[in-house]
Amino acid sequence: VNLDPLGAQVRRLFERLTHAGDGLAHGGEPSALLTVHGEAGREQRGTRVRFTLKFHEGELVEARYHAYGCPHTLAVCEWLAGALEAGHLPSIGGPAHWCRTLDVPIVKLGRLLVVEDALRAALNAAALKAAEAAKNVVK
Amino acid sequence: MSSDAPVYLDYAATSPVDPRVAAAMHECLTRDGVFGNPASMHFFGSVARARVERARGQVAALIRAPAPQVVWTSGATESNNLAILGTARAMSKRGRHIVTSRTEHKSVLDPCRRIEQEGFQVSFLDTDRDGLIAPEQVRAALRDDTVLVSIMHANNEIGVLQPIEAIADVCQGRGVPLHVDAAQSAGKVEIDVARVKCELMSFTAHKLYGPKGIGALYFSAARRASLQPLIYGGGHERGLRSGTLPVHQIVGFGLACEIAAQARADDAAQCQRLRARLWAGLSRIEGAMLNGHPTQRVASILNISFPGVEGESLLMGLTELAVSTGSACNSDSHEPSYVLRALGRSTELAQSSLRFSVGRFSTDEDVDVAIAAVTREVKRLRAAAA
Repeated sequence: VNLDPLGAQVRRLFERLTHAGDGLAHGGEPSALLTVHGEAGREQRGTRVRFTLKFHEGELVEARYHAYGCPHTLAVCEWLAGALEAGHLPSIGGPAHWCRTLDVPIVKLGRLLVVEDALRAALNAAALKAAEAAKNVVK
Repeated sequence: MSSDAPVYLDYAATSPVDPRVAAAMHECLTRDGVFGNPASMHFFGSVARARVERARGQVAALIRAPAPQVVWTSGATESNNLAILGTARAMSKRGRHIVTSRTEHKSVLDPCRRIEQEGFQVSFLDTDRDGLIAPEQVRAALRDDTVLVSIMHANNEIGVLQPIEAIADVCQGRGVPLHVDAAQSAGKVEIDVARVKCELMSFTAHKLYGPKGIGALYFSAARRASLQPLIYGGGHERGLRSGTLPVHQIVGFGLACEIAAQARADDAAQCQRLRARLWAGLSRIEGAMLNGHPTQRVASILNISFPGVEGESLLMGLTELAVSTGSACNSDSHEPSYVLRALGRSTELAQSSLRFSVGRFSTDEDVDVAIAAVTREVKRLRAAAA
Protein backbone atom coordinates (compact mmCIF):
# COMPACT_ATOMS: atom_id res chain seq x y z
CA VAL A 1 0.00 0.00 0.00
CA ASN A 2 1.42 3.37 -1.00
CA LEU A 3 0.81 5.71 1.94
CA ASP A 4 2.15 8.75 0.09
CA PRO A 5 -0.68 10.73 -1.51
CA LEU A 6 1.78 12.11 -4.06
CA GLY A 7 2.82 8.91 -5.79
CA ALA A 8 6.41 7.86 -6.41
CA GLN A 9 7.20 9.93 -9.52
CA VAL A 10 5.70 13.15 -8.26
CA ARG A 11 7.40 12.65 -4.90
CA ARG A 12 10.81 12.11 -6.53
CA LEU A 13 10.48 15.22 -8.71
CA PHE A 14 8.96 17.37 -5.95
CA GLU A 15 11.80 16.60 -3.55
CA ARG A 16 14.53 17.53 -6.05
CA LEU A 17 13.57 20.76 -7.75
CA THR A 18 16.92 21.04 -9.51
CA HIS A 19 15.60 23.23 -12.34
CA ALA A 20 13.87 25.73 -10.05
CA GLY A 21 15.40 29.19 -10.11
CA ASP A 22 17.03 31.42 -12.68
CA GLY A 23 19.78 29.08 -13.72
CA LEU A 24 23.26 29.98 -14.80
CA ALA A 25 24.28 31.62 -18.04
CA HIS A 26 24.86 28.79 -20.45
CA GLY A 27 28.10 28.44 -22.41
CA GLY A 28 28.94 30.79 -25.24
CA GLU A 29 28.73 34.54 -25.44
CA PRO A 30 25.75 35.89 -23.47
CA SER A 31 24.81 37.91 -26.53
CA ALA A 32 24.48 34.68 -28.47
CA LEU A 33 21.85 33.39 -26.03
CA LEU A 34 18.21 34.02 -26.67
CA THR A 35 16.36 34.18 -23.35
CA VAL A 36 12.57 34.16 -23.20
CA HIS A 37 10.04 34.02 -20.38
CA GLY A 38 6.49 32.81 -20.15
CA GLU A 39 4.25 33.32 -17.16
CA ALA A 40 0.73 32.30 -16.15
CA GLY A 41 -1.48 32.09 -13.07
CA ARG A 42 -1.70 34.04 -9.83
CA GLU A 43 -0.86 33.18 -6.27
CA GLN A 44 -4.36 34.25 -5.25
CA ARG A 45 -5.67 31.40 -7.38
CA GLY A 46 -3.18 28.95 -5.92
CA THR A 47 -0.85 28.55 -8.90
CA ARG A 48 1.73 30.79 -10.55
CA VAL A 49 4.38 29.53 -12.98
CA ARG A 50 7.13 31.31 -14.88
CA PHE A 51 9.36 29.49 -17.34
CA THR A 52 12.69 30.86 -18.53
CA LEU A 53 14.08 29.21 -21.66
CA LYS A 54 17.51 29.89 -23.09
CA PHE A 55 18.36 29.12 -26.71
CA HIS A 56 21.73 29.02 -28.38
CA GLU A 57 21.77 29.10 -32.17
CA GLY A 58 18.17 28.01 -32.23
CA GLU A 59 18.65 25.13 -29.81
CA LEU A 60 17.12 25.09 -26.36
CA VAL A 61 20.04 24.79 -23.95
CA GLU A 62 18.51 25.61 -20.60
CA ALA A 63 15.04 25.47 -19.04
CA ARG A 64 14.30 26.94 -15.65
CA TYR A 65 11.16 27.84 -13.79
CA HIS A 66 9.75 29.58 -10.76
CA ALA A 67 6.56 28.04 -9.46
CA TYR A 68 4.16 28.67 -6.61
CA GLY A 69 1.70 25.84 -6.39
CA CYS A 70 0.84 22.38 -5.22
CA PRO A 71 3.39 19.53 -5.27
CA HIS A 72 2.00 18.23 -8.56
CA THR A 73 2.47 21.61 -10.18
CA LEU A 74 6.07 21.80 -9.02
CA ALA A 75 6.76 18.21 -10.04
CA VAL A 76 5.39 18.75 -13.54
CA CYS A 77 7.45 21.95 -13.95
CA GLU A 78 10.55 20.04 -12.87
CA TRP A 79 9.80 17.18 -15.26
CA LEU A 80 9.12 19.55 -18.16
CA ALA A 81 12.32 21.50 -17.60
CA GLY A 82 14.34 18.30 -17.63
CA ALA A 83 12.54 16.99 -20.71
CA LEU A 84 13.05 20.27 -22.58
CA GLU A 85 16.77 20.28 -21.82
CA ALA A 86 16.97 16.67 -22.99
CA GLY A 87 15.60 17.75 -26.37
CA HIS A 88 12.11 16.27 -25.98
CA LEU A 89 10.22 19.42 -26.91
CA PRO A 90 8.51 17.88 -29.96
CA SER A 91 6.99 15.11 -27.83
CA ILE A 92 6.34 17.11 -24.70
CA GLY A 93 2.54 16.76 -25.00
CA GLY A 94 -0.01 18.57 -22.85
CA PRO A 95 -1.63 18.40 -19.41
CA ALA A 96 -3.58 15.22 -20.04
CA HIS A 97 -0.40 13.49 -21.16
CA TRP A 98 1.49 14.83 -18.14
CA CYS A 99 -1.24 13.53 -15.83
CA ARG A 100 -0.94 10.07 -17.34
CA THR A 101 2.84 10.03 -17.43
CA LEU A 102 3.40 11.21 -13.88
CA ASP A 103 0.27 9.70 -12.33
CA VAL A 104 -1.13 13.10 -11.38
CA PRO A 105 -4.77 13.02 -10.15
CA ILE A 106 -7.21 14.37 -12.71
CA VAL A 107 -8.47 16.97 -10.19
CA LYS A 108 -5.13 18.70 -10.68
CA LEU A 109 -5.71 19.19 -14.39
CA GLY A 110 -6.74 22.82 -13.87
CA ARG A 111 -3.39 23.59 -12.29
CA LEU A 112 -1.51 21.86 -15.08
CA LEU A 113 -3.34 24.09 -17.55
CA VAL A 114 -1.59 26.99 -15.86
CA VAL A 115 1.74 25.23 -16.36
CA GLU A 116 0.87 24.69 -20.01
CA ASP A 117 -0.08 28.36 -20.43
CA ALA A 118 3.26 29.46 -18.99
CA LEU A 119 5.21 27.07 -21.20
CA ARG A 120 3.26 28.07 -24.30
CA ALA A 121 3.86 31.73 -23.52
CA ALA A 122 7.60 31.09 -23.32
CA LEU A 123 7.65 29.05 -26.52
CA ASN A 124 5.57 31.67 -28.34
CA ALA A 125 7.96 34.37 -27.15
CA ALA A 126 10.86 32.29 -28.49
CA ALA A 127 9.15 31.83 -31.85
CA LEU A 128 8.41 35.55 -32.05
CA LYS A 129 11.99 36.49 -31.26
CA ALA A 130 13.30 33.98 -33.77
CA ALA A 131 11.01 35.40 -36.44
CA GLU A 132 12.17 38.94 -35.62
CA ALA A 133 15.80 37.83 -35.83
CA ALA A 134 15.17 36.18 -39.21
CA LYS A 135 13.45 39.33 -40.45
CA ASN A 136 16.46 41.41 -39.41
CA VAL A 137 18.81 39.07 -41.27
CA VAL A 138 16.67 39.41 -44.44
CA LYS A 139 16.78 43.18 -44.16
CA MET B 1 3.80 2.67 15.22
CA SER B 2 7.27 2.23 13.71
CA SER B 3 10.08 4.45 14.91
CA ASP B 4 10.36 6.08 11.47
CA ALA B 5 6.73 7.25 11.56
CA PRO B 6 6.36 11.03 11.29
CA VAL B 7 6.21 13.16 14.39
CA TYR B 8 2.54 13.58 15.29
CA LEU B 9 1.54 17.19 15.87
CA ASP B 10 -2.11 16.92 14.87
CA TYR B 11 -3.82 16.32 18.21
CA ALA B 12 -6.60 18.71 17.27
CA ALA B 13 -7.59 16.29 14.51
CA THR B 14 -7.58 13.33 16.84
CA SER B 15 -5.56 11.91 19.68
CA PRO B 16 -4.24 8.42 20.28
CA VAL B 17 -6.25 6.42 22.80
CA ASP B 18 -4.63 6.44 26.21
CA PRO B 19 -3.36 2.90 26.94
CA ARG B 20 -5.40 2.82 30.17
CA VAL B 21 -8.50 3.69 28.16
CA ALA B 22 -7.73 1.02 25.58
CA ALA B 23 -7.39 -1.58 28.33
CA ALA B 24 -10.73 -0.61 29.84
CA MET B 25 -12.39 -0.79 26.43
CA HIS B 26 -10.94 -4.21 25.77
CA GLU B 27 -12.62 -5.49 28.91
CA CYS B 28 -15.97 -4.68 27.35
CA LEU B 29 -15.57 -6.64 24.14
CA THR B 30 -14.98 -10.31 24.84
CA ARG B 31 -16.99 -13.15 26.32
CA ASP B 32 -15.30 -12.89 29.70
CA GLY B 33 -15.88 -9.15 29.83
CA VAL B 34 -18.75 -6.65 29.86
CA PHE B 35 -20.10 -7.45 26.42
CA GLY B 36 -23.83 -7.33 27.20
CA ASN B 37 -26.41 -5.05 25.67
CA PRO B 38 -27.24 -2.38 28.27
CA ALA B 39 -30.89 -2.55 27.20
CA SER B 40 -31.14 -6.24 28.15
CA MET B 41 -32.81 -7.10 31.43
CA HIS B 42 -30.60 -10.07 32.30
CA PHE B 43 -27.35 -10.17 34.24
CA PHE B 44 -25.09 -9.28 31.31
CA GLY B 45 -27.29 -6.34 30.39
CA SER B 46 -27.37 -5.10 33.97
CA VAL B 47 -23.59 -5.23 34.26
CA ALA B 48 -23.21 -3.34 31.00
CA ARG B 49 -25.83 -0.81 32.05
CA ALA B 50 -23.98 -0.17 35.29
CA ARG B 51 -20.77 0.49 33.38
CA VAL B 52 -22.58 2.83 31.00
CA GLU B 53 -24.05 4.82 33.88
CA ARG B 54 -20.73 4.97 35.65
CA ALA B 55 -19.21 6.36 32.46
CA ARG B 56 -22.04 8.86 32.14
CA GLY B 57 -21.11 10.15 35.57
CA GLN B 58 -17.44 10.40 34.59
CA VAL B 59 -18.28 12.32 31.42
CA ALA B 60 -20.74 14.60 33.20
CA ALA B 61 -18.18 15.30 35.92
CA LEU B 62 -15.76 16.70 33.35
CA ILE B 63 -18.11 19.63 32.82
CA ARG B 64 -19.66 19.45 36.29
CA ALA B 65 -23.06 18.49 34.95
CA PRO B 66 -25.63 16.15 36.48
CA ALA B 67 -25.20 12.72 34.87
CA PRO B 68 -28.84 12.37 33.71
CA GLN B 69 -28.34 15.47 31.56
CA VAL B 70 -25.81 13.83 29.28
CA VAL B 71 -26.90 11.88 26.19
CA TRP B 72 -24.57 9.66 24.19
CA THR B 73 -24.00 10.38 20.53
CA SER B 74 -21.59 9.17 17.88
CA GLY B 75 -19.37 12.23 18.32
CA ALA B 76 -19.37 16.00 18.31
CA THR B 77 -20.78 16.16 14.80
CA GLU B 78 -23.92 14.33 15.85
CA SER B 79 -24.08 16.30 19.09
CA ASN B 80 -23.96 19.56 17.15
CA ASN B 81 -26.62 18.33 14.74
CA LEU B 82 -28.85 17.22 17.59
CA ALA B 83 -28.41 20.50 19.43
CA ILE B 84 -29.15 22.69 16.42
CA LEU B 85 -31.67 20.71 14.40
CA GLY B 86 -33.25 19.22 17.52
CA THR B 87 -33.76 22.59 19.18
CA ALA B 88 -34.79 24.46 16.06
CA ARG B 89 -37.38 21.90 15.00
CA ALA B 90 -38.78 21.58 18.50
CA MET B 91 -39.08 25.35 18.91
CA SER B 92 -40.17 26.27 15.40
CA LYS B 93 -43.53 27.51 16.63
CA ARG B 94 -41.86 29.97 18.98
CA GLY B 95 -39.41 31.37 16.48
CA ARG B 96 -37.29 30.67 13.44
CA HIS B 97 -34.05 32.49 13.97
CA ILE B 98 -30.60 31.17 14.99
CA VAL B 99 -27.37 33.03 15.71
CA THR B 100 -23.96 31.50 15.10
CA SER B 101 -20.55 32.60 13.80
CA ARG B 102 -18.69 32.23 10.52
CA THR B 103 -15.80 30.39 12.14
CA GLU B 104 -17.78 27.49 13.56
CA HIS B 105 -16.94 23.91 12.64
CA LYS B 106 -18.72 22.54 9.59
CA SER B 107 -20.78 20.33 11.88
CA VAL B 108 -22.43 23.52 13.12
CA LEU B 109 -22.47 25.47 9.87
CA ASP B 110 -23.96 22.67 7.79
CA PRO B 111 -26.93 22.01 10.13
CA CYS B 112 -27.49 25.77 10.14
CA ARG B 113 -27.56 25.73 6.34
CA ARG B 114 -29.93 22.78 6.50
CA ILE B 115 -32.30 24.53 8.87
CA GLU B 116 -32.33 27.55 6.56
CA GLN B 117 -33.86 25.27 3.95
CA GLU B 118 -36.60 24.51 6.47
CA GLY B 119 -37.56 28.16 6.66
CA PHE B 120 -35.28 29.41 9.44
CA GLN B 121 -33.10 32.49 9.26
CA VAL B 122 -29.53 32.22 10.52
CA SER B 123 -27.33 35.17 11.46
CA PHE B 124 -23.66 34.35 10.90
CA LEU B 125 -21.54 36.67 13.08
CA ASP B 126 -18.18 37.95 11.91
CA THR B 127 -15.18 37.67 14.20
CA ASP B 128 -12.57 40.31 14.77
CA ARG B 129 -9.08 39.87 13.28
CA ASP B 130 -8.09 37.72 16.24
CA GLY B 131 -11.01 35.37 15.71
CA LEU B 132 -13.07 36.56 18.65
CA ILE B 133 -16.80 37.20 18.94
CA ALA B 134 -17.80 40.03 21.26
CA PRO B 135 -20.80 39.43 23.54
CA GLU B 136 -22.20 42.72 22.26
CA GLN B 137 -22.33 41.24 18.76
CA VAL B 138 -24.46 38.40 20.05
CA ARG B 139 -26.70 40.84 21.92
CA ALA B 140 -27.18 42.90 18.77
CA ALA B 141 -28.02 39.83 16.70
CA LEU B 142 -30.71 38.49 19.05
CA ARG B 143 -34.31 38.94 17.95
CA ASP B 144 -37.65 38.20 19.50
CA ASP B 145 -37.87 35.07 17.38
CA THR B 146 -34.33 33.79 18.12
CA VAL B 147 -34.55 30.22 19.42
CA LEU B 148 -30.86 29.31 19.65
CA VAL B 149 -27.36 30.75 19.76
CA SER B 150 -24.54 28.37 18.84
CA ILE B 151 -20.96 29.51 19.48
CA MET B 152 -17.96 27.24 19.77
CA HIS B 153 -15.67 27.35 22.80
CA ALA B 154 -12.24 26.68 21.21
CA ASN B 155 -11.82 27.05 17.48
CA ASN B 156 -10.56 23.87 15.85
CA GLU B 157 -8.27 25.64 13.39
CA ILE B 158 -6.78 28.51 15.35
CA GLY B 159 -7.46 27.51 18.96
CA VAL B 160 -9.02 30.82 19.98
CA LEU B 161 -11.26 30.61 23.05
CA GLN B 162 -14.48 32.56 22.79
CA PRO B 163 -15.75 34.49 25.83
CA ILE B 164 -18.43 31.90 26.41
CA GLU B 165 -19.42 32.95 29.91
CA ALA B 166 -20.11 36.52 28.84
CA ILE B 167 -21.99 35.32 25.76
CA ALA B 168 -24.01 32.96 27.95
CA ASP B 169 -24.94 35.87 30.22
CA VAL B 170 -26.24 37.78 27.21
CA CYS B 171 -28.28 34.80 26.05
CA GLN B 172 -29.65 34.06 29.48
CA GLY B 173 -30.67 37.67 29.88
CA ARG B 174 -32.83 37.35 26.79
CA GLY B 175 -34.07 33.84 27.56
CA VAL B 176 -32.37 32.33 24.51
CA PRO B 177 -30.61 28.96 24.90
CA LEU B 178 -26.88 28.83 24.13
CA HIS B 179 -25.26 25.80 22.54
CA VAL B 180 -21.49 25.49 22.90
CA ASP B 181 -19.38 23.20 20.73
CA ALA B 182 -16.68 22.22 23.20
CA ALA B 183 -15.05 19.50 21.11
CA GLN B 184 -11.66 21.22 21.23
CA SER B 185 -11.81 22.51 24.79
CA ALA B 186 -13.38 19.76 26.90
CA GLY B 187 -10.66 18.15 28.97
CA LYS B 188 -8.23 20.91 28.07
CA VAL B 189 -9.72 23.84 29.93
CA GLU B 190 -11.89 23.79 33.02
CA ILE B 191 -15.58 23.82 32.18
CA ASP B 192 -18.43 24.19 34.65
CA VAL B 193 -21.82 24.28 32.95
CA ALA B 194 -23.38 25.77 36.05
CA ARG B 195 -21.05 28.74 35.77
CA VAL B 196 -21.07 28.98 31.97
CA LYS B 197 -24.87 28.84 31.97
CA CYS B 198 -25.09 27.26 28.56
CA GLU B 199 -28.01 24.99 27.92
CA LEU B 200 -26.39 22.65 25.42
CA MET B 201 -22.77 21.53 25.09
CA SER B 202 -21.22 19.13 22.59
CA PHE B 203 -18.09 17.14 23.12
CA THR B 204 -16.34 14.04 21.87
CA ALA B 205 -14.01 11.33 23.14
CA HIS B 206 -11.35 11.15 20.47
CA LYS B 207 -9.98 14.65 21.09
CA LEU B 208 -9.18 13.76 24.70
CA TYR B 209 -7.42 10.39 24.31
CA GLY B 210 -10.63 8.38 24.07
CA PRO B 211 -11.98 6.34 21.18
CA LYS B 212 -13.50 7.60 17.94
CA GLY B 213 -17.22 7.11 17.37
CA ILE B 214 -18.52 8.28 20.73
CA GLY B 215 -19.52 11.71 21.94
CA ALA B 216 -22.02 13.36 24.17
CA LEU B 217 -24.44 16.24 24.35
CA TYR B 218 -25.13 17.96 27.63
CA PHE B 219 -28.55 19.57 27.97
CA SER B 220 -29.94 21.64 30.80
CA ALA B 221 -33.00 20.46 32.68
CA ALA B 222 -35.06 23.12 30.94
CA ARG B 223 -33.82 22.14 27.50
CA ARG B 224 -34.83 18.45 27.57
CA ALA B 225 -38.44 19.22 26.75
CA SER B 226 -37.46 21.24 23.69
CA LEU B 227 -35.06 18.88 22.00
CA GLN B 228 -36.36 16.81 19.14
CA PRO B 229 -34.43 13.59 18.44
CA LEU B 230 -32.76 12.95 15.09
CA ILE B 231 -32.64 9.16 15.35
CA TYR B 232 -35.63 6.96 16.12
CA GLY B 233 -35.89 3.27 16.80
CA GLY B 234 -36.14 1.85 20.31
CA GLY B 235 -36.32 4.95 22.45
CA HIS B 236 -32.87 4.54 23.97
CA GLU B 237 -31.39 7.42 25.93
CA ARG B 238 -34.85 8.44 27.16
CA GLY B 239 -36.01 8.79 23.60
CA LEU B 240 -33.35 11.33 22.66
CA ARG B 241 -31.07 9.03 20.71
CA SER B 242 -32.13 5.55 19.74
CA GLY B 243 -29.65 2.77 19.03
CA THR B 244 -27.78 0.09 20.96
CA LEU B 245 -25.21 1.72 23.17
CA PRO B 246 -21.56 0.92 22.32
CA VAL B 247 -20.46 -0.04 25.82
CA HIS B 248 -16.75 -0.29 25.06
CA GLN B 249 -16.68 3.17 23.54
CA ILE B 250 -18.74 4.67 26.33
CA VAL B 251 -16.54 3.09 28.98
CA GLY B 252 -13.48 4.38 27.13
CA PHE B 253 -14.99 7.86 26.90
CA GLY B 254 -15.78 7.84 30.61
CA LEU B 255 -12.28 6.86 31.65
CA ALA B 256 -10.74 9.30 29.18
CA CYS B 257 -12.76 12.09 30.81
CA GLU B 258 -11.73 11.02 34.29
CA ILE B 259 -8.06 10.95 33.28
CA ALA B 260 -8.43 14.29 31.50
CA ALA B 261 -9.88 15.88 34.63
CA GLN B 262 -7.00 14.55 36.74
CA ALA B 263 -4.27 15.41 34.23
CA ARG B 264 -5.70 18.69 32.93
CA ALA B 265 -3.36 21.04 34.77
CA ASP B 266 -0.25 19.03 33.88
CA ASP B 267 -1.37 18.50 30.28
CA ALA B 268 -2.13 22.18 29.83
CA ALA B 269 1.19 23.26 31.30
CA GLN B 270 3.10 20.87 29.06
CA CYS B 271 1.16 21.89 25.96
CA GLN B 272 1.66 25.56 26.73
CA ARG B 273 5.39 25.06 27.14
CA LEU B 274 5.72 23.05 23.94
CA ARG B 275 3.58 25.49 21.98
CA ALA B 276 5.75 28.38 23.21
CA ARG B 277 8.89 26.49 22.18
CA LEU B 278 7.38 25.80 18.76
CA TRP B 279 6.36 29.42 18.21
CA ALA B 280 9.76 30.65 19.42
CA GLY B 281 11.40 28.51 16.73
CA LEU B 282 8.95 29.11 13.90
CA SER B 283 8.57 32.85 14.49
CA ARG B 284 12.20 33.18 13.39
CA ILE B 285 11.10 32.33 9.84
CA GLU B 286 10.76 35.59 7.95
CA GLY B 287 7.16 36.74 7.71
CA ALA B 288 5.72 33.95 9.89
CA MET B 289 2.38 35.16 11.19
CA LEU B 290 0.39 33.81 14.12
CA ASN B 291 -3.30 33.33 13.37
CA GLY B 292 -5.74 33.98 16.19
CA HIS B 293 -5.57 35.83 19.47
CA PRO B 294 -2.09 35.52 21.02
CA THR B 295 -3.24 34.67 24.55
CA GLN B 296 -6.98 33.91 24.58
CA ARG B 297 -6.59 30.37 23.26
CA VAL B 298 -6.25 26.71 24.20
CA ALA B 299 -2.73 25.64 25.03
CA SER B 300 -2.45 22.99 22.36
CA ILE B 301 -3.11 24.70 19.01
CA LEU B 302 -0.82 26.95 16.99
CA ASN B 303 -1.81 28.17 13.53
CA ILE B 304 0.80 30.01 11.47
CA SER B 305 0.84 31.50 7.98
CA PHE B 306 4.07 31.42 5.99
CA PRO B 307 3.74 34.02 3.22
CA GLY B 308 5.02 33.00 -0.20
CA VAL B 309 4.58 29.28 0.37
CA GLU B 310 1.71 27.17 -0.91
CA GLY B 311 0.10 25.15 1.87
CA GLU B 312 -0.18 21.76 0.22
CA SER B 313 3.41 21.83 -0.97
CA LEU B 314 4.53 22.80 2.50
CA LEU B 315 2.50 20.01 4.03
CA MET B 316 3.72 17.40 1.55
CA GLY B 317 7.31 18.54 1.93
CA LEU B 318 7.20 17.95 5.66
CA THR B 319 7.57 14.19 5.39
CA GLU B 320 8.81 13.89 8.95
CA LEU B 321 5.73 15.66 10.36
CA ALA B 322 2.00 15.02 10.65
CA VAL B 323 0.30 18.43 10.79
CA SER B 324 -2.73 20.00 9.11
CA THR B 325 -3.30 22.72 6.58
CA GLY B 326 -6.44 24.75 6.50
CA SER B 327 -6.80 24.49 2.77
CA ALA B 328 -8.48 21.77 0.76
CA CYS B 329 -5.52 19.86 -0.64
CA ASN B 330 -7.33 17.77 -3.19
CA SER B 331 -9.49 20.51 -4.53
CA ASP B 332 -8.80 21.92 -7.94
CA SER B 333 -10.30 25.19 -6.77
CA HIS B 334 -7.98 25.10 -3.76
CA GLU B 335 -10.42 26.72 -1.38
CA PRO B 336 -8.53 28.46 1.40
CA SER B 337 -9.54 28.01 5.04
CA TYR B 338 -12.86 29.78 5.62
CA VAL B 339 -11.82 30.37 9.22
CA LEU B 340 -8.68 32.26 8.25
CA ARG B 341 -10.56 34.13 5.53
CA ALA B 342 -13.13 35.14 8.17
CA LEU B 343 -10.26 36.62 10.20
CA GLY B 344 -9.46 38.83 7.23
CA ARG B 345 -6.44 36.89 6.04
CA SER B 346 -5.84 37.09 2.30
CA THR B 347 -6.41 34.03 0.16
CA GLU B 348 -2.65 33.56 -0.23
CA LEU B 349 -2.03 33.76 3.51
CA ALA B 350 -4.91 31.43 4.23
CA GLN B 351 -3.45 28.97 1.74
CA SER B 352 -0.02 29.17 3.30
CA SER B 353 -1.07 28.23 6.81
CA LEU B 354 -0.31 25.21 8.94
CA ARG B 355 -2.01 24.06 12.10
CA PHE B 356 0.24 22.46 14.71
CA SER B 357 -1.40 20.86 17.71
CA VAL B 358 0.57 19.32 20.54
CA GLY B 359 -0.73 16.88 23.10
CA ARG B 360 -0.08 14.68 26.10
CA PHE B 361 2.49 12.53 24.32
CA SER B 362 4.37 15.35 22.54
CA THR B 363 8.01 16.00 23.47
CA ASP B 364 10.65 18.70 23.13
CA GLU B 365 12.31 16.55 20.46
CA ASP B 366 9.07 16.47 18.45
CA VAL B 367 8.92 20.24 18.51
CA ASP B 368 12.57 20.60 17.50
CA VAL B 369 12.04 18.25 14.55
CA ALA B 370 9.09 20.40 13.50
CA ILE B 371 11.05 23.64 13.70
CA ALA B 372 13.90 22.26 11.62
CA ALA B 373 11.62 20.71 9.00
CA VAL B 374 9.38 23.74 8.53
CA THR B 375 12.34 26.12 8.37
CA ARG B 376 13.95 23.95 5.67
CA GLU B 377 10.80 23.56 3.56
CA VAL B 378 9.74 27.19 3.71
CA LYS B 379 13.20 28.20 2.50
CA ARG B 380 13.17 25.61 -0.30
CA LEU B 381 9.67 26.42 -1.54
CA ARG B 382 10.21 30.16 -1.35
CA ALA B 383 13.33 29.74 -3.47
CA ALA B 384 11.33 27.76 -6.04
CA ALA B 385 8.55 30.35 -6.11
CA ALA B 386 10.58 33.55 -5.97
